[in-house]
Amino acid sequence: MRHANAHPNALELLRPESIEAASSSLGDGSVALAGGTEVVPQLRDGILEAERLVQLDDVVPRGIDERRIGAGTRLTELEASGEVPAVLREACRLSASPQLRAMGTIGGNLLQATRCWYWRLHYPCRLHGGERCFAREGVHREHAIFGNGFCASAHPSDPAAALLALGTTLRTNRRELPIAELYRLPTENDRSTTTLENGEIILELEYEQPLASTYLKAMDRQSWSFALVGVAAARFESGTRIGLAGVAPIPWPLDAPAALERATPLPQTAYKVEIATALVRRALEAIA
Amino acid sequence: MARLIRTEKEIEGRYTEQWILVEEDTLDQWPAGPLDEVGRPASRIDGRQRATGDARYTADVQLPGILHAAVLRSPHARARVARLDLQPAREAPGVRGALGPLAEEANYHGQAIAAVAADTIAQAQAAVELIDVDWEPLEPLLDPDEAVRQGALVSQRESERGDVERGFEEADVVVEAEYRTQTVLHNSMETHQAVTDWETDDRLTVYISTQAIWEVREAIAEHYGLPPDHVRVVCRFMGGGFGAKNGPGDYTYIAADLARETGRPVKCALTRREENLDSGNRNATIQRLRAGARADGTLTALEGEFVNATGWDGWLSSTGGPMEMLYACENVRIVERGAKLNTAPMKAFRAPGFVEGTFGLECLMDELAARLDLDPLELRQRNHSDDDAVDGRPFSSKKLVECYRRAQPHWERRDEVRARSEGPWRHGIGMASQIWYGGGGPPSYAWVRVGADARAAVLTAMQDIGTGTATAMAQIAAEELGLPLDRIDVSLGDSARGPYAVTSAGSSTVPSMGPAVRAAAADAAHQILEIAAQRFDVELRVLSLQGGRIVSADGGSWPLEEITGLLESGQILGKGSRGPNPAGMRILTFGVQVAEVSVDVETGEVRVGRVVAIHDVGRVINPLGASSQVEGGIIQGLGHTLSEERLLDPRSGGVLTQTLDSYRMPTIADMPEIVTDLVDAPDEHLTNLGSKGLGEPPIVPTAAAIANAIRDATGADVRSLPITRDEMLRALREARERTPERVGAPAA
Repeated sequence: MRHANAHPNALELLRPESIEAASSSLGDGSVALAGGTEVVPQLRDGILEAERLVQLDDVVPRGIDERRIGAGTRLTELEASGEVPAVLREACRLSASPQLRAMGTIGGNLLQATRCWYWRLHYPCRLHGGERCFAREGVHREHAIFGNGFCASAHPSDPAAALLALGTTLRTNRRELPIAELYRLPTENDRSTTTLENGEIILELEYEQPLASTYLKAMDRQSWSFALVGVAAARFESGTRIGLAGVAPIPWPLDAPAALERATPLPQTAYKVEIATALVRRALEAIA
Repeated sequence: MARLIRTEKEIEGRYTEQWILVEEDTLDQWPAGPLDEVGRPASRIDGRQRATGDARYTADVQLPGILHAAVLRSPHARARVARLDLQPAREAPGVRGALGPLAEEANYHGQAIAAVAADTIAQAQAAVELIDVDWEPLEPLLDPDEAVRQGALVSQRESERGDVERGFEEADVVVEAEYRTQTVLHNSMETHQAVTDWETDDRLTVYISTQAIWEVREAIAEHYGLPPDHVRVVCRFMGGGFGAKNGPGDYTYIAADLARETGRPVKCALTRREENLDSGNRNATIQRLRAGARADGTLTALEGEFVNATGWDGWLSSTGGPMEMLYACENVRIVERGAKLNTAPMKAFRAPGFVEGTFGLECLMDELAARLDLDPLELRQRNHSDDDAVDGRPFSSKKLVECYRRAQPHWERRDEVRARSEGPWRHGIGMASQIWYGGGGPPSYAWVRVGADARAAVLTAMQDIGTGTATAMAQIAAEELGLPLDRIDVSLGDSARGPYAVTSAGSSTVPSMGPAVRAAAADAAHQILEIAAQRFDVELRVLSLQGGRIVSADGGSWPLEEITGLLESGQILGKGSRGPNPAGMRILTFGVQVAEVSVDVETGEVRVGRVVAIHDVGRVINPLGASSQVEGGIIQGLGHTLSEERLLDPRSGGVLTQTLDSYRMPTIADMPEIVTDLVDAPDEHLTNLGSKGLGEPPIVPTAAAIANAIRDATGADVRSLPITRDEMLRALREARERTPERVGAPAA
């Protein structure tokens, strides 16, 4: 199942100085590079093939300005910020490891791929364009309980769930969109999990300020582990929003706690519904 | 006087009968308790080297013209290699040599099939991708029970003492349960690797990360038909072995074959992914256990059927050992079967068999205690075995009762801890006993060299697996020579420098090497004193070495240099060897661990708050090194209990956990408070030191102690490792259906 890059040293690194230049150099063998914590391992493992890397550091904003967050902001900066709501801070703090958080950007985090071992190991699964979901037939204790009819993978991003709960709007070089519209469930005809177009780059995120918010995460160990279930909840004047991590092929908005009853767990993931039920209840209590 | 004796030699519970050259052990043991150096905490003599990066591991070995090997591994759990063409790889940039096919049939995912050597590792890896292979995949055998049904066994062992059926008839209570343990990996920081360098056609130097340089030397010499002295094996520092590095492994032969083909030194180092595919493992087990006892707790019968998922190759680790050995029980029947599967071969892993078997047995004992309504600690004490439970031999020493006594105050906190339960968090305390080998044995040799500057060097071709044995050896030599620790050097890790030494496995390094080093130091000390007696015209019997000086009982005192300085470049050379083990006695290590856990009954989260580790391993040489060993064992045990598991795709047999983000070892954030309490009483029958080994004992009871604490906290029987959230929630559900009042329903 190994497909090592046959020319690991032949990669070219581009450092465009404008967003237009960055955008036009993407595609056709060119891949965007920010913190590199996801792109570099994928290149090394041969999941991603590239001839050129387009470094976005000089063109994508970085930093926090009231409710606006530059997509190049590192998770560490969000984790340590007194300005951003607790749900996002906590989601960042509970992500990955300190080393990875110091490198990884919030924009890149939203675009990370599933940790499904079959996908990571190049099994010719549906997400790779194949005919089968190997996880469904095999080992899937870490997999999805929602939206899993076609592909059982789980989306790993904690911050994405937090940003869902915060009603975040994304600004790219081409459009503005609610974060929920960044994602789509893979289908027979289109296996991608995002709606990002070729050459489109996330520049900025703008969240709504909640009255209270929290992020709770169940994982296999206390640190450096992807969410089995992550629950983000934020309360606004208008009501409460909940986002879930680790439960569907994409970050999953939960309309109401009762919606958990509509989960479609696989044989090995029924326990995730149990955990989600408890964590949603606790999160709502915490922000009440 | 040297004697050749035919005796049984034990490593990790495997006894072999062999001829062993022993010399009498004429030194009296030191008095118990801390001495000048021995028994006092010493930081590692090579700690600075390790911390600064100066320590040279096998991974650091660079030789002129070195080539790097990459290995083609089977992507299938079982497949025939119908055709293999190396030519495209040979023509790739930088490639200097290629090997293959190494087997006609691949029998597990990750088995080495071909290899390439190139100027850089990137070139070698790229070339491996070009090897043209036609695989004919075959149906793999993956289920251990199915393998047993088919008779596909690596080996099996049956043993019975007494009359088990009658024992169960005499029982007032019988408990029966099935336990399962998973496949776990060593995942040493330093992956398996070797650098091989043919000096001439018939002289080979092997730099290798190994815990057994003499076993590597032997195996390589035999494989290539070389005189053993023409094979030099070097391992100065190593980044962990845990039992997985007891021999050369195919990577060493691959490197040596490619080195021979190319006329250049070759390094073959496993990547982390390869390490997770084919470097050995603690095999999974299925344990079907039964225990019978009278109402007062006296065990009347124990029975265990054990299936080890051995893999394609390996040996039958004794999962039934604890059941046979831990308690006084007249009627015991054991059946152990090693299933031959299309999975990577097992290797020894820190107390192989006993870690798994203790989990089953000690959980069963708690289930029995619950049925009998007896205190679990009391039940264990009532079944204490004063002599060896298997054959009645006396123990050389056994301080398990003292361990239980020391456990008492921690155990008594149970009610208080349980009462702290609040909301979804339930607290509890559990315990488990430990039994394991660790007596070491002959042969093992050491030399001690004292120079004109009155510094001493310990020379022995042992290896420090990473546990700090070099420091312990320096302490022993310092004690005997009356020198401060900073005047001792230790030279080890090179089969061409110093005499034969024991493998660092089976908790045997300190009990085997320590007495030899002490004997060598005593020999050197005796020579120094003989010279001093002549030079200063005093009687030998009044002289001793203390604080770097030669001291006379009648008042004289001279710096050691006054004698050694006369030698200029000459040296005093002391020789020592490991004496025999006490005849007719069983030498074992014992202990008990008490674990405190919290369980979130709604989310299945388990947190281990505290582990108290009380072990009897005879005299403790270095209390600081010893507590580090205990901590390391418990950390590894915690991973085994809660989060680590090598997962296979159930259809293809492909390994799904190949990286450290999917194979989950615990992090420092998962660590409990660890309290180490060693009995530290010299074994009066064992060697001139009275020390046993401590490498393995601390990991033996950890899983059972934690599982029993979970039962104490929640009433749930966790019988399958690892106790991940899904397993914890499953056990809680099962317990709720059984006894609703004990577990309590979640608030929702």
